[in-house]
Amino acid sequence: MASSSVFLLMVGGQIETGEFPEFDDIYCKYCFTYGQDWLITSGLEEGLTQVTKKSKDERQIFTWNFPLDITFKSTNPFGWPQCIVQAYGLDAFGTEVVRGYGVCHVPITPGRHKIQIPMFVPESSSQLQKFTAWILGRRPEFIDPRVVASGEGREVTRVRSQGFVTISFNVVMKDMKKLGYDVIPFRSDFIHGPRECRNERHINRNMMKNRSFMMF
Amino acid sequence: MAELHIIGQIVGASEFPESSLFCKWGIHTGGAWKTLAGLRDGQTQVDNPVSHDSAYWAHPIDIHLTTKGLQGWPKIHFQVWHQDSHGRSELYGYGFCHVPTSPGMHEIVCPTWRPSGSFQEQVSQFFLGGSPQLKNHDLIYSGADRYRLSTIAMGKVHLRLGVILRNFDKFGIEC
Repeated sequence: MASSSVFLLMVGGQIETGEFPEFDDIYCKYCFTYGQDWLITSGLEEGLTQVTKKSKDERQIFTWNFPLDITFKSTNPFGWPQCIVQAYGLDAFGTEVVRGYGVCHVPITPGRHKIQIPMFVPESSSQLQKFTAWILGRRPEFIDPRVVASGEGREVTRVRSQGFVTISFNVVMKDMKKLGYDVIPFRSDFIHGPRECRNERHINRNMMKNRSFMMF
Repeated sequence: MAELHIIGQIVGASEFPESSLFCKWGIHTGGAWKTLAGLRDGQTQVDNPVSHDSAYWAHPIDIHLTTKGLQGWPKIHFQVWHQDSHGRSELYGYGFCHVPTSPGMHEIVCPTWRPSGSFQEQVSQFFLGGSPQLKNHDLIYSGADRYRLSTIAMGKVHLRLGVILRNFDKFGIEC
């Protein structure tokens, strides 16, 4: 991979909160999935949050406040990273049950983004399976959670959406403009200055918002 | 050649008369456009939400296009279907939206419609189900021949699309 054709994507953020009105204890598992041209240069690809209880006030939310920090490099935006979140909880018998799968792309523009991810669970494909699932207390799950990040073969799945997880992302990119990629709109008021200037100003503004990025 | 990446999600649908919906989607482009990688069409899962009126599909879109001309900028078209408890599917709406021409993140809400049919068809639909459908799906995204249709409003499809352009400014194109 020639270093001149590589761009970097640095993603900070957190799994902030969740809403699952029907459940009491939830923890999350996250992982990133990405195309063939992508590599992780630093950070954790997978992680597990703490178990949290629903708040006892009228908001009825789960708060994880769980940090995400990962840097990717790639030569091609195709296969842009997606963040897969799986929520798990305990049922009445103390067995672990999946409470939702969710997915979103890492935002493609620098700056701060807050995304609410709908969470859904697969449904049994037949009445018989539904019955055995009820008897045995084993709900349907995806064997590989990465299917929720792929566009193929979804027409055969039936799901129930039953909650939300909110994630915030802080995105910084390097060398996108140098490779000819535009991720922010053309601004005619910067046209007389050098082109790099325009990007720097944009990124600096976002750095000021998040002091943790000042060291970058 | 200039390149265009469309990266995002068909998030879901709202304001349809019933939930338990799925969506068939596709991307239509002019002749100068070529797909280098990614899926040009697909079908989402069926979502049967528990506690809210909106259906959520979270269906990923990641497509890499290249073009020699601006004519026929990509459009995404949808067919929203309702699946009942017996697995029967019924058309609930057609719609399309242009892929935004400016790079960046875009939240798009696309209104949909369905053919309403004649009075007789409406009566038979009320008692028997099923709904009139387009024979020619080009009508979803083309303006010609629409005047012969009578339609009725349905719900909205929600998308979150990221657009990345490459080398458009090299050819003097301002997006």
